[in-house]
Amino acid sequence: MKKFKISSFVILFATAILAAAFLVPIYFAVISALKSNGEILKNPLSLPTGLYLKNFTDLFSKTDFLTAIWHTVFLTGVSEVLIVFIVPLAAYGISRHPGTVTKLVYTYFLCGMMIPFHLYMFPLFKELKLFGLFGTLAGPVVVYISGSVAFGCLLYTSFLNSVPYDMEEAARIDGCSEFQVFWKVVFPLLGPCTASMVVLNGLGIWNDFLMPYLVLPSNKAKTINVAVYSFVGQYTARWDIVFAGAVIALVPALALYVALQKHFVKGIMAGAAKG
Amino acid sequence: MRSNSRTTAAFIAPAFIFFTLFIIVPTASSVYYSFTSWDGINPYIRFVGLANFKEIFTSARFGNALKNTVLITIFISALENALALGLALLVDNVSRARNFFRAIFYVPVILSGIVSGFIWKIMFNYNFGPINQALQSLGLSALKRDWLGSPAFALASVGVVLIWKGAGYYMVIYLASLQGVPQEVVEASTIDGASSLQRFLRITLPLISGAFTINFTLSLINGLKVFDQVAVMTDGGPGFATETIVYLLYKVGFSEGRQGFGTAVGLVLLFIIMILNWIQQKFLKSREVQL
Repeated sequence: MKKFKISSFVILFATAILAAAFLVPIYFAVISALKSNGEILKNPLSLPTGLYLKNFTDLFSKTDFLTAIWHTVFLTGVSEVLIVFIVPLAAYGISRHPGTVTKLVYTYFLCGMMIPFHLYMFPLFKELKLFGLFGTLAGPVVVYISGSVAFGCLLYTSFLNSVPYDMEEAARIDGCSEFQVFWKVVFPLLGPCTASMVVLNGLGIWNDFLMPYLVLPSNKAKTINVAVYSFVGQYTARWDIVFAGAVIALVPALALYVALQKHFVKGIMAGAAKG
Repeated sequence: MRSNSRTTAAFIAPAFIFFTLFIIVPTASSVYYSFTSWDGINPYIRFVGLANFKEIFTSARFGNALKNTVLITIFISALENALALGLALLVDNVSRARNFFRAIFYVPVILSGIVSGFIWKIMFNYNFGPINQALQSLGLSALKRDWLGSPAFALASVGVVLIWKGAGYYMVIYLASLQGVPQEVVEASTIDGASSLQRFLRITLPLISGAFTINFTLSLINGLKVFDQVAVMTDGGPGFATETIVYLLYKVGFSEGRQGFGTAVGLVLLFIIMILNWIQQKFLKSREVQL
C-alpha cells in the first residue's frame, strides 16, 4: 500500500510540474501586457510592480484595434449563424432521402475535406474579385461557410442517421411543411452536434489569419490576429503594446473554453472521427 | 415522391452552391493555372505546359522547402504524439484534479497561431527573451543561442512551439481512448502476473491503436499545413531555413507574383495529403486491434 501511495504522489507531482511548464508562455504574455516595455526587457518573468494599463489605453488610442475586434466578432458571428443553418439543412436532405444522387452529393462534399486552403487560394481571390466580395467582410464569410460544408455534413449526417423518423412523420401528419419539420422538430434535436460545430468553427474563424489578412482591404484595420501580426513588424520597440493585443485575442477564447469545456472535448472527438 | 425530391434538392442547394463555388471551382481552376505562368493580376494568361512541375522537381528552393516540411512534419508528429500519450497516461492516472489538468494541457490549443507565435518569438529573443535570460541566471550562458536567428536552430525552435500548441489536442483523444480500455482486461492481466510495463505494451497500447492512427494522421496533415507560426516568428528565414512548402507557395504567389507556379506547388501538397490519407486507410487501420 505504501508503494502505491508514493507512485501516486510522483504522478501528481510530475503532472503538476508539466502543467506549470505548459502555462509559462501564457503567464509570460499576461504579465507582459501589464508591464512597460522597459520592465519586460529587464525582468521578463517577474510579476508586474503595479497595475499598469497604459498598454491597453495606447492600443485603443494609437491603433484601430476596436475596428479589428468588431471585424473579428462580425466574421465569427455571421459565419456561425449561417453555418449552423445551411449545413444541417443539407445534411437533413441527404440523410432523409437516401438514394444514388444524395450519396453522390455526400461523397462530393467529403472530397472537400482533403483539399488544403493554400491550394485554391489564388484562384479563389480572383473569383472573389469577380463577385465583388474581395475587400469586403462578406468575402471571408462565404469562404468560411463553404469550408465548413464537408466536415459539417459528415458530422450532422452521421448523427441524423441515428435519429428515428417517427417524430418527423407525426409532425407531417399534423400538417407541418417540410421546412417546418426540419426547423421545429429536427433542428432542436441536433443540439449536441450544433454545439460541436459552433465550437470547432468558431475557434477556427476567430483564430484565422491568412484569409482576413489577404481578403480584407489593406489600408484599414482587419481582424485581431492580423492586427497582432502587423504590430510585430510595426512596433518592434513596443512589445508591451503587442502583448496587450495578444492578451485581448486570447482572453475571449479562453473564457469561452472555461465555460464550454465539455463541448470543446466533444468537438475534438467529433473532429478526430474525420481522420 | 416528386415534391419530396424537390424539397431535398432545395435543402441541399445552399450548401452545394457555396461548396461548389468557393471550394471546387477554385480548386479546379488551380489545376488549370498550374499549367500557366499566371502572375495573379495580368488578365493575359500564358500556357507553359509542365514547366511549373519541372521547376518544382528540379529547383533547389523547392527541395529545401520539401526537406524542411518533411523534417518538421515527421519530428513534430513523433514528438507530439509521444508527449501527448505521456500526458494522457499521467492525467489518466493522476489521483486528483484530473479534469483540471486535462484543461490546462489543452489551453495552448485554443490560442491562435499568430498569438502563440508572437509569444514564443519574444520568449526566444536573443537579448531579452526569458529563455536566454533564464539560462544566464542559471549560469548556463554557454547554452544561450539566437534561437530563431540561426539556421541551425530556427526550424527546431518553431517545432517546439508547434508541439507545445498541439500536444493537448492529441492528449484529449488518447485520454478518451484510454478511458475506453475495459478494466476487466487490465485486471485479468494483473492477476496473470503481468508487470505494469507488460500491461502497457501488451494490453493498453494495442487497444488504443485506433487513437494512435487518428492522431498520427492528423498531426502529419497539420504539420504539412503549418503557416501562421512561420509567418510571425521567422518569415521563412533566416535565409530559407524555415521555409516550408506552404510558406514557399505563399511567398511565390504573393511576394513574387508567380501564382501559376504557386498553384502547381499546391497540387503537389494535395498529392502528399492524399498519399498520407491512403497510407492511413491501408496500413495503420489494418493494424488496429478491436475487442
